[in-house]
Amino acid sequence: MSAIRMPRVATVQFKPLRTKGAGRIAFLIVTSVLMLVPMYLLVVSAFKSQQDILAHPFSLSPDQLTTQYLEKAWTNPDFNILKGYAVTALFVVSVNVLSVALAGPVSYVIARRSERRYRMLLLLFVAGTFIPSQVLVIPVVYTLKFLGLMGTIPGFVLFETTLTLPFSIFLYAGYIMTIPASLDEAAAVDGAGKHRTFWSIVFPLMKPAVVTMVILNTFSVWNDFVNPQIILGPGSGLYTVTTGVYAAVSQYSTDYTVVFPTLLLAVAPLLVVFVLLQRHVISGLTAGATKG
Amino acid sequence: MRARLTTLSMVGPALVLFVVMLVVPVCLSVYLSLTDWNGYSANPVVVGLRNYLDLTKSEEAIRAGWVTLVIAAVGTVLLSVLGLGFALLVNGASRLNALFRVILFYPHVLSALVVGFLWSAVLGTSGVVNGWLTTRGAEVLPFLSNPHWALASLIGVLVWAGFGVNVVLYLAGLQTVSKDLLESARIDGASARQTFRNVTLPALAPVVTVNLVLSLVTLLKTYDLVVSLTGGGPAGSTQTAAYLILWDSFHNNALGFGSAQSVVLMIVTAGLALTVARLRSRADQGVKG
Amino acid sequence: MSRSVRRKLGVLTSVVILVGAAGCGGGGFDDEGSAGAATGEVRMLVNITPNLTKGYWEGLVKPFEDANPGADVKIEAPTGSGVKDSLPQLLAAGNAPDVVETLMADKVLAPQLLELTDQAWTKDTPLAQQAALDGKVYTVGVGQQAQSLVFYNKDAFTKAGISSPPKDLDELTAAMGKLKAAGYLPLQTAGDYVTGLQLLQLSDPSIATKHPDWYQQVGSKQLGVGQSMLPLLQRYESWIKSGYVDKNALGLDDVNAQTNFLTGKSAMYIMGSWFVRTAESQNPTFDLGVFAAPTEAGQPYPGPQGVTMAAPYMVLKSTKQRDLSVKLVQFLVTDQAAVQSQLAQDGNFRKGFTDKLTPLGKQVQDILDQAPKGVAQGEGYGANTLPSGFNGEWNKAVQSLYTGKSAKDVATRIDSWMGSKS
Repeated sequence: MSAIRMPRVATVQFKPLRTKGAGRIAFLIVTSVLMLVPMYLLVVSAFKSQQDILAHPFSLSPDQLTTQYLEKAWTNPDFNILKGYAVTALFVVSVNVLSVALAGPVSYVIARRSERRYRMLLLLFVAGTFIPSQVLVIPVVYTLKFLGLMGTIPGFVLFETTLTLPFSIFLYAGYIMTIPASLDEAAAVDGAGKHRTFWSIVFPLMKPAVVTMVILNTFSVWNDFVNPQIILGPGSGLYTVTTGVYAAVSQYSTDYTVVFPTLLLAVAPLLVVFVLLQRHVISGLTAGATKG
Repeated sequence: MRARLTTLSMVGPALVLFVVMLVVPVCLSVYLSLTDWNGYSANPVVVGLRNYLDLTKSEEAIRAGWVTLVIAAVGTVLLSVLGLGFALLVNGASRLNALFRVILFYPHVLSALVVGFLWSAVLGTSGVVNGWLTTRGAEVLPFLSNPHWALASLIGVLVWAGFGVNVVLYLAGLQTVSKDLLESARIDGASARQTFRNVTLPALAPVVTVNLVLSLVTLLKTYDLVVSLTGGGPAGSTQTAAYLILWDSFHNNALGFGSAQSVVLMIVTAGLALTVARLRSRADQGVKG
Repeated sequence: MSRSVRRKLGVLTSVVILVGAAGCGGGGFDDEGSAGAATGEVRMLVNITPNLTKGYWEGLVKPFEDANPGADVKIEAPTGSGVKDSLPQLLAAGNAPDVVETLMADKVLAPQLLELTDQAWTKDTPLAQQAALDGKVYTVGVGQQAQSLVFYNKDAFTKAGISSPPKDLDELTAAMGKLKAAGYLPLQTAGDYVTGLQLLQLSDPSIATKHPDWYQQVGSKQLGVGQSMLPLLQRYESWIKSGYVDKNALGLDDVNAQTNFLTGKSAMYIMGSWFVRTAESQNPTFDLGVFAAPTEAGQPYPGPQGVTMAAPYMVLKSTKQRDLSVKLVQFLVTDQAAVQSQLAQDGNFRKGFTDKLTPLGKQVQDILDQAPKGVAQGEGYGANTLPSGFNGEWNKAVQSLYTGKSAKDVATRIDSWMGSKS
């Protein structure tokens, strides 16, 4: 943990390299164009016919543009994209809530207790970050099956939540250590129990770390592919945005009038949310990471 | 007694879930790797270390291992270098810098699966780039059809999609660089390069470690992008360990063999991550001492 | 380590062992299904392709649902890359469907499948007996697919001065030279699964002529797969060198390849009979023909034709709706309208269903009729099988011809894979 514990200092702006000038801006603009080209192609191609996509990928003349393919993707009978959004959003919310509810208290205990066994506990949790989830999912199938949770929403949410625990606990425990213990001692004197002390005193103070984790978990759950593919499977009839896209796109992978509109619909919600909240997302990510 | 119960109620739920969904499955993987099970037939037969022995003889698995290591090594270096480089470039508080930060970061919001489909439409033999080249009478470039190009394309797309995260992490680190030290370095007449080497970089050391370990662990798991960008091809040349594990486990009905590969992958991941963390912490001490 | 920690670790270990053991052993993998009721839900896992959409499948089973009030057929699309990946996942999850389309029974799957040998109606379904394992019928299909077909652009052949389709592989190579000279890419191929499949399809007639019991010889190790395929691999290698196939073809997938061929960029496309449907739906501007894959020089032409079962269905043993599932499969492979629809939808063939063939379909039917016999291909079926996973390994091995490996390397690679599977 000491690895990312850093001195607290005020935000500073400084100029480490003499690149303030036009050269820096020009370089960044070129890079930005490279970064945005695929996105531009995705957006314009969603409104064009197959021939136009192939013959004039970059052109944007209005007579080529049509919303017919986007409408077709929206009403694809094989993949109800609205339901995909709803299902995925449900997963994102459940995993986030459950993750905070579980990781918060345990991190608090780890941060406040000095006994060796809590060090060991932290190590155990942190070791979880080294387990690739794509590989873990195979034996998890049998565990969930034993519990009767295979192919169900609770089974999937519990597994996804587990995957968030190692890093959450690592970050939360580190963050809580920077919160003075005298605060909760004062609460204890007032007769508050441990649970209440944590949720009403400590938890509000660790908001930056929680925001960081919520952002990270939202991306990872929304974008996860293997785990919903295997745990939910075709039997459940549940499609997330990614498994739905895969089913809709992989069979037609070069009918671009199916591929591009479907991909656009798949990325649109999260991208819109990101662009609207970009300042909070990026500063949220840095806030949690700088302390801890 | 009551205090212990309280502690237990705070630790218990997370620990139970962690054990049931992570520790048990890992143990199960180890057990399955010692069997010849196909995943659904009547009970597994224990075959000892045969799967591990097969693994040492399987050209395909060994190649997937190398491909994974190349992706992890080259990718980690690129992510860290680009991450730090661009963090220095977009560190200012101006609106323009904020815009650049968003543009560098946004691919991370897209799922790897979507990124792969998107780039395969751009780089495929009849994709956008080659379509453009063909209309100009130029030779088609084998981005995805030549093994070396395909691996390079895969790494390129991984870096394209991921380095924004490193930029953000380094930006966070840059905010912790002591303003006083920078100021005094300036007064002492140190050059930008000297300041960077002697003030900024040492302060960033912990962030560098986090970046390296996170990138390494993430890249060693590469799977989704392989599925959507190259499908493991051409000729199986871009199959990563995670890809081959799932392929062998289900498509080839060799769950035992797949599990043996999983166990090796987990050990290698943990080993590499810990080694990097340890080397870095030694380097930190070196800097401080 | 304190005593309490040790105790906790002890408890942890026993939990791990208990749950682990229960997870593997206690799952109950010998589920014997039950006859079930005359109503209820039947889950069917099907292959989804551009021809066979989910909507198509739902329409196909509609008459069955109408005829059996209360029966509900739920069409399930694979979430993985196909049924071949999804079925093992579902079996592992203990959530197998009742009926599965697209795969054929092999020794690994057979214990999970319901035996249909006693069902009288299976006798008249195409290839049911050939696909039986030790005399037990598990898989029944709608029709036959011809595999060893070369679709060709007649206009291109005329322009290149080729008067009649090549009958042996030397003539084929010569024709490729002329086509290239006339400005065409002689043979269209692609990456994905196409590379390996085309070579298997091309190999069927000559291999089956030279080694009539190839599967048995390979199975008993008298003959290596790579060794017997080597001449063809060498020929293919020379085609790559001469530019008769596109050296960047691995960056294409099947739809790209079809589009290139059907828009006249390439002159020939080796593919199974399902391509008839795709080709006709796109109205190519040139005269499209088809001939049976050539044999080796000196062998009679046409040779044996690679033939596979079209739309194979299997019922899972674990089904709780055994009677209804069997009834559904019976409907799908014997009902006149259902069979007709599936044949037309995916370019398949069946004796007694020839009246509605398109001109191109008629040509394929003729090729099937003229072939001295139908033979299995690749992983095969029934008594003629290779280890599961062969097609995928073969495909990767053949693709490596494009990445600088020699025909000999490919033969060695595939033989060593075969060796590791026994």
